[in-house]
Amino acid sequence: MTASNSLTPHRGEHEPGAITEPDVPGSGTPTLLDRVQRVMHAQATLGPAVVLLIAVIAFAIVSDRFLSAANISLILQQTAVIGTLALGQTLIILTAGIDLSVGAVMVLCSIVMARASSELGLPGPLALVAGFVCGALCGLLNGTLVTRIKLPPFIVTLGSMNIFFALNLWLSRGETIRGSDMSPLLLWTGRVITIGDTRLTYGSVMMLALVAVLGYCLHRTAWGRHVYAAGDAREAARLSGIRVDRLLLSVYITAGLVYALTAWILIGRVGSASPQAGIMNNLESITAVVLGGTSLFGGRGLIVGTIVGALIVGVCRNGLSLAGVDVLWQDLAVGVLVIVAVALDQWIRKVRR
Amino acid sequence: MNDTAEPVLSAHGLVKRYGSVTALAGADLELYPGEILAVIGDNGAGKSSLIKCLSGAITPDSGEVRVHGRPVRLTSPIAARDAGIETVHQSLAVAPSLDIATNLFLGRELRRGGLLGSVSRSLDHGRMRAEARRHLDDLGIMTIQNPKQSVETLSGGQRQAVAVARAAAFGNEVVIMDEPTAALGVRESRAVLDLILRVRAKGLPVILISHNMPHVFEVADRVHVQRLGRRTACLNPAVCTMADAVAVMTGAVSPDDLPASALAQGPTAAARQADG
Repeated sequence: MTASNSLTPHRGEHEPGAITEPDVPGSGTPTLLDRVQRVMHAQATLGPAVVLLIAVIAFAIVSDRFLSAANISLILQQTAVIGTLALGQTLIILTAGIDLSVGAVMVLCSIVMARASSELGLPGPLALVAGFVCGALCGLLNGTLVTRIKLPPFIVTLGSMNIFFALNLWLSRGETIRGSDMSPLLLWTGRVITIGDTRLTYGSVMMLALVAVLGYCLHRTAWGRHVYAAGDAREAARLSGIRVDRLLLSVYITAGLVYALTAWILIGRVGSASPQAGIMNNLESITAVVLGGTSLFGGRGLIVGTIVGALIVGVCRNGLSLAGVDVLWQDLAVGVLVIVAVALDQWIRKVRR
Repeated sequence: MNDTAEPVLSAHGLVKRYGSVTALAGADLELYPGEILAVIGDNGAGKSSLIKCLSGAITPDSGEVRVHGRPVRLTSPIAARDAGIETVHQSLAVAPSLDIATNLFLGRELRRGGLLGSVSRSLDHGRMRAEARRHLDDLGIMTIQNPKQSVETLSGGQRQAVAVARAAAFGNEVVIMDEPTAALGVRESRAVLDLILRVRAKGLPVILISHNMPHVFEVADRVHVQRLGRRTACLNPAVCTMADAVAVMTGAVSPDDLPASALAQGPTAAARQADG
């Protein structure tokens, strides 16, 4: 249903033959495949969860170190940055948009935080606020271009990605800012909480907390329902009295704040702020969202799915490297997963009533 | 014409231009209490522009819309909704991935009471589902079992029923329906026509835009014919034939050539009754 992000999303769906006899099943009893399709259509996160489970079982068989507490902690730490970043990306994709500037915004925010602390000597909390303001402003710019000048999000964020990245290089003068020069608060997200043998960072905990907060906002508030409606059937949302432009602007700003939060997690994880960090993160965040069962056409998907998607990537990379497989094959595996996930999404969307 | 019933909704001299194209050239419309007013017209006659002006989707360049004689400015769908005008839009009415209750309350969700509602802005899904059920029952829509079902699992007619139920539930003054049967099969059209009659029975006047003459003549109390951007006549479907209506619509016959009884500028007997 590629037409669902156009203005007339469901024209042509009303074939008279299919609806004049609503009580009679169209083509005999559904096959097993039909049933699988229907269940996956109703439960967007089921497929990704099954994939994650299979991956975990497979790698547990291949390597006995895989399921050790230390390794699981490592995967969670490795996933925290991409996972949190992808949460912001999920908000944008739910509105049938896409954000190519995620990585650039995150790096820019991390540089703003680090320099506000190291150069300007601002206290930790103020340096954080500066970073969050930066994230919100980046979101405001993207959102304004999308809603006021009506440019496609792909183009807007392709352009702003370069702008933000250039700003980041200018602001950092291309130099990495060491953790020892910053307020310890900026590095706090990398601190470790030990529960039994599992060592979680505050960053990973923040990611999980954000899942709960965003999940609540998307499913328990009118704002969240409107986000889905705007991505699913924009014109219907507008005609229902939803101020779609204002809504989209709020989504882009919220995403910007999520990227700023990710910048904080990134500084804690790396222990410094580097202008070169996170260059690959744009596409990896989209990968996580797509693997998590969120549709690129908008209006369909769950915030939890994105974390599952990020974990699928994390688990595959970690498991393959434990198995001694070269990095290039990890990339290949992730690439195959993405294509399969999108193909699956297309198929699920064709579900028969 | 000889009646005192005041129109619920009226439009005077609406003009809307798109560049050099004039969609509305001084269009009028009156809707009286308790009636179904059909709006017919050829493609490009300004039907949709007229309806969009009344539902707040576009703002006319000039002209006036009144609700119960009071001028209103319908600058957005929300403004029209606040004025008590609900519209069932053609095929764009619902968000398919959301459930029925959410669709019914889209844009006017119910929040929980207390701090949960005011501070954390938590929605009251339970109450919305219960009320959705009640609104569907009100219109006798029994084929829909579960308001938690997502709309895409419904048939075309059931989707339209959800849209109609939503309009009937929140429209205080007027329900506008734009081609509600256009995409439906015979049996489903039948069900939607019955729904329209039930909305009228609830006391809400209805504006029905349709290309389908048999449907129009079956349910309408009066037929507003739109031609070249303005109203050319209001016909009485009890006296007129479908052929007359088509002839007036295409300009083959001038309304002046029809007998006076075929015209229905003022409220009809049914409407007068409903008002009294």
